[in-house]
Amino acid sequence: MKKTPPDELRPARRTFLKAAAGFMGSTLLGGVPFRAFAQATNLAPPDRCFVFVYFAGGWDQLLAFDPRDPDEFTPDRVTETRILPGYSLLSTDTRFQTRPLIPAEKSGVGRSNIAFGPAVGRLADHYDLMTVVRGINMTTLGHEVGYRYFLTGKQPNGSAARGSSTATEIVGQMKPTVPIASIAYNIESYNDRYGGYANALRVSGLNDLVLTLSPSTRQLDSDIEKQLIDFNGQPISCEEAAYGARGVGTTYENSRGQMGAVMANKLSDAFKFQTATEAGGLLDFYGLRNQAFPFNSAAGRAATVATALKKGISQCVSINLTGGLDTHFGTQLTHASNLRVGFDALALLVDDLRRTSHPGGGNFMDHTTIMVFSEFARTPLINSQGGRDHHLCSSCMLMGAGVKHNYVFGRSGDIGMAPGTFDLRTGAADPNGTNIFPEHVIATVLASANLDYSITRVDPLRPILA
Amino acid sequence: MRRLVLTALLALVAGCTQGSVDAPKPVERDGQLEPVNNPHAQEPVPLPDPEAQGGHVGRAPRRITVAQLKESIRTVVGRDWSELESRAQSLGRADFALIASENTEPNLVFAKFLDDGAREVCMLQAAAELNQADPQLRVLSRSIPGKLDDLRKLTDAQVRTLMVEQSTRFWGAPLSGDELTRYVNLFTQAAVRAETLKKRDQALAVVCIAMMTDSRFITY
Repeated sequence: MKKTPPDELRPARRTFLKAAAGFMGSTLLGGVPFRAFAQATNLAPPDRCFVFVYFAGGWDQLLAFDPRDPDEFTPDRVTETRILPGYSLLSTDTRFQTRPLIPAEKSGVGRSNIAFGPAVGRLADHYDLMTVVRGINMTTLGHEVGYRYFLTGKQPNGSAARGSSTATEIVGQMKPTVPIASIAYNIESYNDRYGGYANALRVSGLNDLVLTLSPSTRQLDSDIEKQLIDFNGQPISCEEAAYGARGVGTTYENSRGQMGAVMANKLSDAFKFQTATEAGGLLDFYGLRNQAFPFNSAAGRAATVATALKKGISQCVSINLTGGLDTHFGTQLTHASNLRVGFDALALLVDDLRRTSHPGGGNFMDHTTIMVFSEFARTPLINSQGGRDHHLCSSCMLMGAGVKHNYVFGRSGDIGMAPGTFDLRTGAADPNGTNIFPEHVIATVLASANLDYSITRVDPLRPILA
Repeated sequence: MRRLVLTALLALVAGCTQGSVDAPKPVERDGQLEPVNNPHAQEPVPLPDPEAQGGHVGRAPRRITVAQLKESIRTVVGRDWSELESRAQSLGRADFALIASENTEPNLVFAKFLDDGAREVCMLQAAAELNQADPQLRVLSRSIPGKLDDLRKLTDAQVRTLMVEQSTRFWGAPLSGDELTRYVNLFTQAAVRAETLKKRDQALAVVCIAMMTDSRFITY
């Protein structure tokens, strides 16, 4: 990964704060020109970005990252293998092939070491940036528990999350100078040990995001607005300080400061794809021409992630990219179609990040780590309703900066896709080894950026680290 | 001698009677615990030393929930924030489907939306009060007598009274000292500008917005 010279991309904290304080006047004063901020802030993407992509509902690994050969795992052998790929059930839809997907070899990269399920589709073409971790023991079949386990890398207490989200942990440690360090788009976010600066901007949709980033539609007279800003900037009283001294007040004041900087930058304009300067290209690239604001499709959400990273607005974006995967009663085709929506959107995002140059050199994927996960997997056998139930053994995919490319770590068992045991230092199967747990993956993500992973209390999966 | 013995007996009887009245002892039973004296009976218990507790006494402040915010706005400003329900989830309300507990973190989204809400209710209420001649029917200017006229003409005492009344309404605590002076200055300066603009309501609105976006309004 190419390093960004820190002096070029990171404006000094004092410069940024000075500019932010001054710029509070610009938008709040009804559009008074305030060029100093624009000159001083020099918004730039961080040297290292992260995207956490959540597939909601529990995904079928046979269709995604842990496929099986249907010629080997046949219905005749199902009592022996306890695995039924069911790819033939997709034959009615031409979008899906009925065999595991091996992407075409890329020149200079070599053939793919990763086999993909039929639902992955075009995303498989980016195999040259991927590591797939298979055979992860989720230790739970509860949606909230598995989801929060993967978000934090810590086994929840009951269903209540423990610790901070990985994105919060990253921005808490890295303290990026971007205006909104972390965005959580329709996904939970936790912060248990960092200041308000590490809080994710948590929104349930693009409309919320734009509303949050836009100046209020109701403005006082510009002079009175200025008086209000000056007033808010004055030293606080003892009583106010007493209320603010422990947590809530300080966090709130930090949030208000963040709000000022965000609005000063008019960041909302970047997410109004229908009116943004380079919107034409973006709308076409993500296929949003026929959609209306707030572009809440998976592709629209992917465009939001790309914009947040490319414009230097955020360092971490966590996003719920697709759902409808809890198909106990659905068909294989339904599940594959819902997965495909997410994978196609993710493929667009990776395409976009690969085609865009990063100011620090290379393209954005050279500076971005993507983690794709779900709360657990689905049973390798099809139930009496034609769907699949919850299964402990799952997979996840890491992609981009800091991780090895075109690589598979771990595997699930050939009988019932049970989670295996491995020597985690080498990745080799070892009957006396240990399971792979979500905390191992989270530790690996943190270690890939040379961050402190001690909160996970495990070692990272070192063979994955680039 | 006989007189002396009689006096002693009378004293003894009187002493026994008095003792039985003052301290009637309960009948003790086998295995019964001995009574414990109330350690606080003699004198009031002093509050903990703030210095020994990081400068604080009592629990840490908490942010109000969305339901509390809704009621607070209605109570102190006298009208509802029209967009509160549509933004409730982003403000932290649990939906009890995917999110089982209310998020009371005063994060960026909360700060921004509260600012939007304060502007809406304060500006609408201030504008409405301009046409209300009866002070008792006003909320943001109840202590100003008669119809709202040129706010620059209010005496310093009247402005101070107004600020104290408003702060008590918004925070449950009256302003005093330097902070009261700061608020008086804010109102006075805004009143001068508002009069120039012929928008008197903005002087009331700016104080309302400042108080509603203060951390004391959202904590308890």
